[in-house]
Amino acid sequence: MFRKFTVLSALAAALMSGAAAIAGGLPQEIRFGDVGFGFGKPFGVGLLAIADAKGFIAEEFKGTGVKLDWTYFTGTGPAINEAFANGQVDFASYGAVPNIVGAANGLDTVIVASTQGTNIFAVARTGSGIESLADLKGKRVALQKATIIHWAALEALRHAGLSEKDITLIDLKNADQLAAISAGSVDAVFGADFLLPLEQKGVAKVVFSSARDDREVSGFGGFLVSRQFRDAYPEATQKVVDGYVRAAAWLADPANREEAFRIWNRAGTPVDLIRRSNADTDFRQAYDPRLDAVFEQRFASALAFTRAQKLTRKTLDLAAWADGRFLAKSLEDEGLAAVWPDRPATGTN
Amino acid sequence: MSDLSVSTVPGQGAAPLARRARPARQPALRRARTLQRAAFRALPWLSPLAGLLLWQLAAECALVSEHILPAPGRVLATLGELSHSGELWSAARISLWRLTVGLLIGAPLGFLFGLLLGASPRAEDWLGPSFRAIAAVPALGWIPVLILLVGIDEVLKVIILIKACFVPVAIASRDAWRAVPARYAELGRVLGLSPLRQLWRIRLPAMVPTLFSGLRLASGQAFVSLVTCEMLAATDGLGYLMVWGRTLFQMDLVIVGMIAVGSAGIALDRLLRGGERALRARMGDDG
Repeated sequence: MFRKFTVLSALAAALMSGAAAIAGGLPQEIRFGDVGFGFGKPFGVGLLAIADAKGFIAEEFKGTGVKLDWTYFTGTGPAINEAFANGQVDFASYGAVPNIVGAANGLDTVIVASTQGTNIFAVARTGSGIESLADLKGKRVALQKATIIHWAALEALRHAGLSEKDITLIDLKNADQLAAISAGSVDAVFGADFLLPLEQKGVAKVVFSSARDDREVSGFGGFLVSRQFRDAYPEATQKVVDGYVRAAAWLADPANREEAFRIWNRAGTPVDLIRRSNADTDFRQAYDPRLDAVFEQRFASALAFTRAQKLTRKTLDLAAWADGRFLAKSLEDEGLAAVWPDRPATGTN
Repeated sequence: MSDLSVSTVPGQGAAPLARRARPARQPALRRARTLQRAAFRALPWLSPLAGLLLWQLAAECALVSEHILPAPGRVLATLGELSHSGELWSAARISLWRLTVGLLIGAPLGFLFGLLLGASPRAEDWLGPSFRAIAAVPALGWIPVLILLVGIDEVLKVIILIKACFVPVAIASRDAWRAVPARYAELGRVLGLSPLRQLWRIRLPAMVPTLFSGLRLASGQAFVSLVTCEMLAATDGLGYLMVWGRTLFQMDLVIVGMIAVGSAGIALDRLLRGGERALRARMGDDG
């Protein structure tokens, strides 16, 4: 029964894509998903938000009549995986750990570019005597488990000579982390720029910033497309990646920093806070879209992490999951390869 | 028992004729009765079985993505795995322990407070409105404030549960006090019993049914609050198991959590019904 159904639906899909190919190989609508923040109408704080706001992808489809739909999910990773499973998004950019969790559980996605840039912070309660990561030994540390921050925190601790066993790890969501450190229930928190207001309020101070102290543990993830979409609409996929790469090149230009901050401000974070959180970030390096050796090394590390933490039941093959053809063509066609010179796999990027 | 139930079977009235014919009809009658009883027993299983069938059908026809609604077999396998590894039991043990502490502290406090509200109109005037205002805010609304006050440890869950048990028990015990017929109270006075004996011998036995339905309501509400609380601010328990399943994109884990919560809810209700029956029997004998 099930097999018959899949055969039938595959036939139907083939017919439909055939019809689409006759009609020019473009879908009527392309739906994008990204991690969102803010109250009311959430917005993104990454590269995809720039591509949306500046119309880089829309320009690629000018005159084709293709409609672009953007959704910013405040439920972050798990919500985007659910949207992929439901067929509600075609492209999405989110953290590597939920990328892996989704794909390992059978979501048929393909990585077409890298999404990087999240600066990871650790803050410690004022008066706790914690000045650096090494001081976290024996302390209660909160973070949200099964996120890219979880991976980054354990990597940062490892680089500081500590292991997971040296701390008491408490799994809390962002809002609860703020409450817990204010109430003194935990000594330190690993998170993103939402922690910075704590320093202004005098509740906690920043003891670690990945952009400043250890660039290797900055957050990262993939720009994913559903395999079905890629196979049915390779031309549209190429256009999307073209727009995405042009957005990355725009962001890499230091002259555009302030404008980028104003765009991200739509998510509700004050421009001043965004400026502070990115003070040590070089956007050319942080939003490098390439699927190169550094990307492979980081994803391999995240894959090892999800296995060690028992977040996934099976191991993924990165080579079969990532598809660099579209990106390579974009870099060549747009003449942008020079923006990101080759980087060595080890050491800071 | 058997004589009484005979008269309830249709066509078997208490007519003398039918009574005389009884020995001959007995086996057929008994068979019909067993059949009827079996059918009656099966009734509660009807809707879950229908649900299961629908679920299996949805999975087989791929109506819903298998990532959103895994097949029953997959969920059963996960249930087996989790139960074998002990994860499910440790989560259930933690949740039930929290529930027990909440009930043991919240229910007696609620009972005493309800008696006060019931017995004294002045207390009702003074404390009633604030009590109702507190009762109206759900557990979810208390969590952000309570986290700041007491942190994220066990105390938080216990306070939420005490509140969840306290409110329905207090309301039930106040209503139960008021529902005791005036004649009963009069009887106590006429017999010249001391106030304590009046309470113990007359009022409390009359209050038991209402009190127990309040307690059952309380345990149900407390369980719901507990799962909500564990989903929001905990690192263990059945509620956390469900949230973790969602994070890992393993919906079978979420459904196992739902099954565990549902089963525990039924078990708890059964337990309290049993307790009520036992207490009623004892109180009846005593009176």
